[in-house]
Amino acid sequence: MFLVDDLLFRPFVSLLNTLHSMAIEELHDVDSIRDELKENRLLHELGERSEAEYRERRAELEQRLAVAEAAHENLQGRVEVKR
Amino acid sequence: MNGTHIYTYGVVDDEEFELDVTGVDGGTPIRTVRYRTLSAVVSDVDTLEPERSDENVRAHDEVLREVMTFGDGRTAVPMRFGMVFKSGRALKNVLRSGRRAFRKALLDVDGTVELGVKVVVDEGEAVDEAALQSIADRLAAAAERDVENDLFSDRLALNRAYLVGSDDREAFSETVRAVRDDHDGVTVRYSGPWAPYSFVDIEVGAAQ
Repeated sequence: MFLVDDLLFRPFVSLLNTLHSMAIEELHDVDSIRDELKENRLLHELGERSEAEYRERRAELEQRLAVAEAAHENLQGRVEVKR
Repeated sequence: MNGTHIYTYGVVDDEEFELDVTGVDGGTPIRTVRYRTLSAVVSDVDTLEPERSDENVRAHDEVLREVMTFGDGRTAVPMRFGMVFKSGRALKNVLRSGRRAFRKALLDVDGTVELGVKVVVDEGEAVDEAALQSIADRLAAAAERDVENDLFSDRLALNRAYLVGSDDREAFSETVRAVRDDHDGVTVRYSGPWAPYSFVDIEVGAAQ
């Protein structure tokens, strides 16, 4: 009985794990955050983003980047972001 | 600053000089560390991992520009931002082991500068592929070599670095101006001259 329960439950576990992994990947995609940092600078240079908007966005992204890099370091390769 | 480590900006042909510019983390003076036919351009720092702030990245680049332009000018093989060695001995070890690669790189980019062009599509506009190809072809024809850089934004239609002989720089600038005049719906961003970051690729080992 234990075996059957285990098998029945497995797809849900797998789905939950997948969703969890996707959430982590989305949140901690270091390359994507770096791209956003570059885009922020580009839009500022083009005059489409004011100095204040640029600085605020940059601070927010840098904070996200620090968290993402720390997460990658802590997980030591267990988070793999597929692009 | 009397830092304990050595921040390295790039490598030039053997020459001893000091520059009156401020380096990464406020490092002064900018000086050279010589090894045989090579000189590394350096300043002292207190940390092995300087912060990658706008100010520091700008300082790294300004030092290289000064190296390339002061006096009669000279060719520089740039290092990536953040290259710090624990001591002069560690740096000389790298110059020794990488001597051939540095010499080849100096030859490859001798008398050239790097120029950057980005084509940015106006908000809400679609990319005209034929026009984009025409722009890319005209710019490539005016340069010795070119390489593609990341398209890090959906707004970016072209992002390339061009290696141009110092004597051909004005002709390249003229091509950029012509491209700008000929195409509506896009913004052409032109930058440089930079040290030829995109055209040298020397990996410095971990034994720093």
